[in-house]
Amino acid sequence: MMSKELGFFGRYMLLLIIQLLLCNYFMMSPYMMLTLLPAMVLSIPLRYTTPQVLLIAFGTALAVDFLADGVPGLNVVALLPVAFARKTFIRWVFGTELFARGEDFSIHKNGLGKVSLVILLSLTLFLILYIWVDGSGMRPGWFFFARFFASLPASYLLSLLAIIYFSINDR
Amino acid sequence: MPRSREILPIVVSLVLFLILEGAGFIMLRKSSSLQGMWVSRVTHHFMAGVWGANQQVGRYFSLKKENDRLAADNHELLSRLQACQKALSDLASEQRVQELQKSHDFSYLPASIVKISRNRQHNYFIIDKGSDDGVDARSAIITRHGAVGIVDAVHRHYAYVLSFQNAEVSVSARLGSEGAMGPLVWDGHSADGALLKEIPLHFKFEKGDTVYTSGFSSVFPPDIPLGVTGDSRIVNGAMHEIKVTLFQDFTALRYVTVVENLGREEIGLLENE
Repeated sequence: MMSKELGFFGRYMLLLIIQLLLCNYFMMSPYMMLTLLPAMVLSIPLRYTTPQVLLIAFGTALAVDFLADGVPGLNVVALLPVAFARKTFIRWVFGTELFARGEDFSIHKNGLGKVSLVILLSLTLFLILYIWVDGSGMRPGWFFFARFFASLPASYLLSLLAIIYFSINDR
Repeated sequence: MPRSREILPIVVSLVLFLILEGAGFIMLRKSSSLQGMWVSRVTHHFMAGVWGANQQVGRYFSLKKENDRLAADNHELLSRLQACQKALSDLASEQRVQELQKSHDFSYLPASIVKISRNRQHNYFIIDKGSDDGVDARSAIITRHGAVGIVDAVHRHYAYVLSFQNAEVSVSARLGSEGAMGPLVWDGHSADGALLKEIPLHFKFEKGDTVYTSGFSSVFPPDIPLGVTGDSRIVNGAMHEIKVTLFQDFTALRYVTVVENLGREEIGLLENE
């Protein structure tokens, strides 16, 4: 049990480091941002309560804000709603069986379609908030949409890899 | 009991979410001026909406009283109009005509108060008219009972007004129709009390004399009745300081008129030269 806990947090920290590297060294265009944060929040085991998930998400987003993005509060504001809505998204997509069985979701058990859908829901919420707050109402609508539609597929692919990485032990 | 057991974690999660999200917005506001301005703008917009909704509910429940007051106002204004028309027909002097023309140098715009503070030393209120309606900073705010404030800042749909009940606001006032002039300031504690300062000792006045706006500032039009004089005292052996009971009761303030001096820019230019 203890080693499993350490395994999750070890992998979580590794993904956090990858996110920091992405923010600091892989900003390819002002139209595209790469984020793993919603996938990291989704991958927190379901036995954690929403308040616990909120605190983990707050700490994670704060670390990225201070160590990478340079605008404290930006990732916090965008990620907390994802953490708050996480169980709702999972219940919509996978139904209540996961909660009843106390299992976490994975591509292996639940299929690529459902996992993709829950990732896309989380990413959509995160990106809308992030781009909206980052633009501060100063950017035109077309820029908002261009950035959103460029960032969504790229971040989706990365998130999918992250979810696969998290569920390696479940196979 | 089982139901409360289900609701409690949701409430705890919601409260924690709101606290952490609030902390995020505070950090955002402090960390970047652009985001800070945006957060302030969104917050003000939201609060203005809440205040507006609050006021609308309050107004709905006081509509009958308001209609009665408007009917009484209407009656009084009609009476005054008839008296003015009679007086005008009797007037022939060029000086009087010029005075009337001078009063046309002001434009008037009705407005409602959406938020007001009364219990501070620096009171303010917010009206539902802004730059889109032609309101400028330094516009005067009056009611039929007197001068009540000066516009300090203007947004598109709202304006922030320094209330007369603010230590920073003074109105240039005159005793009687042709008497001495001095600044009228709030007394700092009562809802209808003010102090008329710097009145020369040699000037005679009685309790109950009416105090008017002097019109010598570029903000307020002349001859608006403000209140009546009460007790007085001598300050530094050189000036009278007179207590004034205002006609306007600030606890009943709701509808106001924004007054714009159309010649203020020109006056300002002359002063700068």
